[in-house]
Amino acid sequence: MFTSHISGQLAAYIDGGLAPRKARQAELHMEQCASCRVECDQVRFGIAVLENLPLVEAPDGVWASIEVAFEESRPRQTPVVGQWRVVFAVSVVLALVVVAYWVAARPAGMRWEVVRLEGSPTVGAKPIRGAGQVGSGDWIETDGRSSATVKVGEIGSVEVEPNTRVRVVAMRPSEHRFALLRGEIRAKISAPPRLFFVDTASGTAVDLGCEYALNTDEDGFGMLRVTKGWVSFQFKGLESLIPAGASCRTRPRAGPGIPYFDDAPENLKQALERLAFEKAGNEALDIILDEARVRDTLTLWHLLSRVEAEDRGRVYDRMAALTPVPARVSREQALRLDHETLERWKEELAWTW
Amino acid sequence: MVHLSDREISAEIIEACRLGDRDAFRALYDAYKDRVYSISLYFFHGDPAAASDVSQQVFLKLMTRIGQFRGDAGFSTWLYRLVVNACMDAARRSKPDVTLSEEFSKPGSPEEDYARAQMANSVRAAVSALPPRFRIAVLLRYFEDLSYEQMAEALDCSMGTVASRLSRGHKILAERLQGLMGAKK
Repeated sequence: MFTSHISGQLAAYIDGGLAPRKARQAELHMEQCASCRVECDQVRFGIAVLENLPLVEAPDGVWASIEVAFEESRPRQTPVVGQWRVVFAVSVVLALVVVAYWVAARPAGMRWEVVRLEGSPTVGAKPIRGAGQVGSGDWIETDGRSSATVKVGEIGSVEVEPNTRVRVVAMRPSEHRFALLRGEIRAKISAPPRLFFVDTASGTAVDLGCEYALNTDEDGFGMLRVTKGWVSFQFKGLESLIPAGASCRTRPRAGPGIPYFDDAPENLKQALERLAFEKAGNEALDIILDEARVRDTLTLWHLLSRVEAEDRGRVYDRMAALTPVPARVSREQALRLDHETLERWKEELAWTW
Repeated sequence: MVHLSDREISAEIIEACRLGDRDAFRALYDAYKDRVYSISLYFFHGDPAAASDVSQQVFLKLMTRIGQFRGDAGFSTWLYRLVVNACMDAARRSKPDVTLSEEFSKPGSPEEDYARAQMANSVRAAVSALPPRFRIAVLLRYFEDLSYEQMAEALDCSMGTVASRLSRGHKILAERLQGLMGAKK
């Protein structure tokens, strides 16, 4: 019996998606139908060639803005107490307060102005001519010949350099946040600390009142260079503080490197790179300690908590040789990485940075 | 191809995600990120920016809607429905441009011999040139190995339509790669 052609079932026949009875019918049909036999070979070949499509690893940058959104949206834990009615009532009141705050603090349809500087930058894949607007969740993208500037609410501006892809993640008065997937931005912020944030695949730059340039690739290899004020770069509990005139490299999964002044001796900078990311040993540390100047205590202060415990004493001694140790900072506490001690010392050292 | 049962995400992880557990969500993301990214990458002609964008959209939607997942369908099916919608929506918005990105069409790694690299590029180009509804079906079947029933749910069509799209998609691939057919055999 010659049934109708089975073109539409061939893929299912080949990869076992047909019920046994239908598969048998398909076989019987192909025994008599040369056209379907040829087509079956074609489909089999079309399936086989897909072996040439390897699985591609998602870049680390994909996670960056997801994580930010996750932190913003996840539900808060409700305390477990016996008097649930009280908890419920308090929760309702709090929810109302939060909603009222949200409504007041986030005007509907809030947008920031984007001005084209060169070429054809896009917002949400649409080119902007002259000026446009950007909202929360929008991507701003520039090619090799375009750039743009974004007015960040009332607190400053961000220049988006060529070959950059950056997303506006939050635009609230208490949180102005971008996610930089790749490329470079230059931020000029005049606001109290911790209102402006930029997420990258290797961590978050937290503005402490500053001007800076931040670049990264999609994997998180990048550089933060501060020209005014201070920036804190944070990643999973690790923090680097970068003052004006200093820079800090970033690495995927390693977060911020150790900051250094741009005018630091070249040998020091190279040794620092080897120590921070290549885990080079004593030789690199020797060079850093030998070459360090007074203001390079910025680097040494960060090193203190990043080197192995047995090397801390050498770092401490070099810092003590470069500048007097404040009375309230003891060697023992510093080597134990006592938080208050290190903070006290940093406050004194910062006069030289 | 990886089999679904090997990596179906556990009910505990999904429940933890519903409760806002960041580590659980990261585990879920890690379990699926490469397949979601790869499907998007091959769907969008090797454009890593488009693939990253769609992957982010998918996981952001997943995060906000995971409370709606009731477990009556498999988690993968539900997730890939989001992938299909994101890819097809983006394809509708963008121009019908099938030019492969530079990144995609450059030669393969040094380990790949010349012929293999050429074959790989030809296959990528042929997949890119498939009509979107055939392309997404072919990629979903290849990277996810979903059953026809699951694919029908993810693609929002009948199982017969899934079978037909796959057959036609693979046949078009074979016709476009005719020159390689002898070499492959």
